[in-house]
Amino acid sequence: MTTLEHVKALKDTECIVDVLLNEVKKNECKTCGKCTFGYEGINQLEMILSDITEKKGRPGDIELMDDLCGVMKEQSLCETGEEIAAAVLEAISAYRKDFEDHISKRGCRAGVCKKYMTYHVLAAKCIGCGDCMDVCEDDAILGKKKFVHVIVQDECTQCGKCLEACDEEAIVTAGAIKPRCPAKPIPCKAK
Amino acid sequence: MKIFIDDREIEAKEGQSVLDAALDAGIFIPHLCSHPDLEAKGGCRLCSIEVEGEDKAVPACETIVKDGMKVTVNGPKAEKVRRMSMELILASHPADCTGCPKYGKCELQSMYQYMGVSPERWRKKSRPVPNNDSNPLISHLFTRCIRCGRCIRACQDLRGVKVLDYINTPQGIRAGIPDGKSLAEAGCRFCGACIEVCPTGSIVDQVKIMKDNRSYADNIVPCRATCPARVDIPRFIRYIKNGDFDKATAVIRERVPFPETLGSVCTHPCETECKRGEVNEPLSICRLKRAAGVNDSGAWKARVRKDAPTGKKAAVIGAGPAGLTAAYYLAKKGHEVTVFEKNPKAGGQCRYGIPYYRLPDELLDKEIDAMLESGFTLKTDTEAPAPADLLASGFDTVLVAVGTHQGTKLPLEGGDLPGVYLNAEFLKRSRMGDPMPVGEKVMILGGGSVAYDCARTAIRLGAKEVHVACLESPEKMTASKDEIEEGAEEGVILHAAHSFRRITGTDKAEGVELQKIERFYFDENHRAVIDLVEGSNQIIPVDNVIFAVGQKPFGTDKMGLELTHGPYIAADENLATSMAGVYAAGDVVTGTKTVIDAIAAGRKAAEQMDLFMGGDGDISEELLDNEVPSPFIGHIDGFAALKRGEPKVADAKERAHSFSLVEQPFSCDQAKCEAERCLQCDLRLQLTRPKLWNEY
Repeated sequence: MTTLEHVKALKDTECIVDVLLNEVKKNECKTCGKCTFGYEGINQLEMILSDITEKKGRPGDIELMDDLCGVMKEQSLCETGEEIAAAVLEAISAYRKDFEDHISKRGCRAGVCKKYMTYHVLAAKCIGCGDCMDVCEDDAILGKKKFVHVIVQDECTQCGKCLEACDEEAIVTAGAIKPRCPAKPIPCKAK
Repeated sequence: MKIFIDDREIEAKEGQSVLDAALDAGIFIPHLCSHPDLEAKGGCRLCSIEVEGEDKAVPACETIVKDGMKVTVNGPKAEKVRRMSMELILASHPADCTGCPKYGKCELQSMYQYMGVSPERWRKKSRPVPNNDSNPLISHLFTRCIRCGRCIRACQDLRGVKVLDYINTPQGIRAGIPDGKSLAEAGCRFCGACIEVCPTGSIVDQVKIMKDNRSYADNIVPCRATCPARVDIPRFIRYIKNGDFDKATAVIRERVPFPETLGSVCTHPCETECKRGEVNEPLSICRLKRAAGVNDSGAWKARVRKDAPTGKKAAVIGAGPAGLTAAYYLAKKGHEVTVFEKNPKAGGQCRYGIPYYRLPDELLDKEIDAMLESGFTLKTDTEAPAPADLLASGFDTVLVAVGTHQGTKLPLEGGDLPGVYLNAEFLKRSRMGDPMPVGEKVMILGGGSVAYDCARTAIRLGAKEVHVACLESPEKMTASKDEIEEGAEEGVILHAAHSFRRITGTDKAEGVELQKIERFYFDENHRAVIDLVEGSNQIIPVDNVIFAVGQKPFGTDKMGLELTHGPYIAADENLATSMAGVYAAGDVVTGTKTVIDAIAAGRKAAEQMDLFMGGDGDISEELLDNEVPSPFIGHIDGFAALKRGEPKVADAKERAHSFSLVEQPFSCDQAKCEAERCLQCDLRLQLTRPKLWNEY
């Protein structure tokens, strides 16, 4: 499947930015280097898309890619560069809102881009053991023994360490739809 | 055919690219990956243009002209492509131009300044690669590589060496050597084409190669620049490589009239500068010159210059290398030249100073006879009248080139004892078949070539034990390494870094007292300072002592010319002396130097004297057609490791008992093999230097 076909047949569970980034990373232009638009173009696309998936997208990035790919599509030395540029142009036109949501930090619609995921402790499962608090390097988790732990979203950096530390499967990630959780630590009900 | 660029009609050649046509017509179109000597690839798109009838911008380097074609250089589509391309290149290029060796000469820098472009809107990220200075000639700073591919095309297609290529590294794609090899391992021929075509500072000459006090071309071809007579060394070596010894000789003869003599005795400063010396060992340039001379058929004679007679007369005093050279070139300029030589034969120090086993009479005779064909008169066994008398007797100009034929003695106790000799007399008498008698043991005082000539002559005259003592340490001695080695093989005992205290004996020389030197140097006033090791005195018993501590001119006090530093003739930078029309050249002006210096001085004297007699001062001649060598040199596995060829040398035990030739010339095959080692640095100067925008 070509990149363009992949873009056109995007599934609900796929994020367009993430798909493009992966296509760009394995694009042959990266290992050629014989033309400026193919090589420097693909490198710019990788850096820009990577930034967007990591919540570091900048206003104007969509226009920048649009501008780049317009030229890249007609000035690359071979079809490899032309095709990836055409695919990016198609993606921007068909999924502009997804790009905007990432850049404005609203979120990743498909729940694929890790940096847009939030972490939550489910009150029904937490036993208040403190393991998640111990591994959190950002001190983003509130609580004490036998109290349901609470992740402070403003402090959380989505590193995912608490998820691995929890033996009770009490920690979950969420995309657009968030679970209901206590705002402050409350005594545990789970045993 | 005609094409139109921005409404300007220009002439274009069939098959030419629009870029070349525009640049030829003096119209600048930015470009970077294209190079006049390399095939265009259209990778950078900086040369984008708009062509009437095409809906998108196209690269001018890959667009072939068509009659009546209408081109716009700065249309909006082309400008957009061009600017974006430059922005993208700059986004991954280091921004610290001032720290780059190419600063001010960089095509990329020149181009982005012309375009006024900055990469601000893009993600900026350079791809750092550690500098590689492991090669002694070529420095790699691939952080600055912009992947234009010019070095690769030069190495692969133009030169056929096939060492450089695009390589995939963790830092990205760049020019480099595949498989992690060094240049030497990959078979690099160090031609420098990659350096020459690199538009940025990614591939540059090692800093120490480029000296501030000489021109770019001289730095690129240091052998030729260093030769006092500026013999076109790479050119004659290339002919030897191809087995064309006649053409090789013609190249040498365009600058010097004694190829074989020089090939036998030249001090070859060119080899010290040879870039191949940085790779492993320098080319054997001197011996290749000898090989050319030995195998010469004389084809060059057909094209020797012979101007119409001028009716002017020149006198030359002294038939050494300087005097003969001057006479030779003056005669070819149409002047009537007479050379006065005090000795029975011409040749000067080449004949009476350098021993037969290094420079046989037959060789000198052959080369001097060839010079005599130019038509000058040689009067041997003739003491010349004083310069003023020569002028008065009808000569228009006079050259004094009497050399330094008188040995000097140090003020040393016992220096006047019988059995104490002087270098010049000792060597000359031996050469004339009337050698001065030597006893069993001989000591030579001095550490230069002449000292070794004396020592090895003494051995050949029958001395059983020959010592050489000198102030200098072995590394600082002016005798060549070869001489010192060959002398040692023949039994010369060297006392380097020793001071001579006195010559012992009452009625005749019986010994020399030596004392070890701790330190020997020249102070800020250029005075020699000697620190001795106390208690290291020893007396070496000898029968003869030969001073070889320098030579000076003889008889210059009676010439009516202004002298300097004692007996030396004062001459200005044009070799003119204090008397109008009288010139001086060679050792008599400079002090004892080398044959090649004397020849260079002889050429200069001829030019100046020709000017004085109303000529144009141009003594140059073309003894062969100017053939442009092929830029394609091909790949040679293990090129860097090719060993310097060594000639056949007579066995030390045998040669020490006769004056027969010590060293044989290279065989033709040996010479061709050795010539193959040449880096052909001069090919690099054939490459076109792309003009920067401000030069249009």
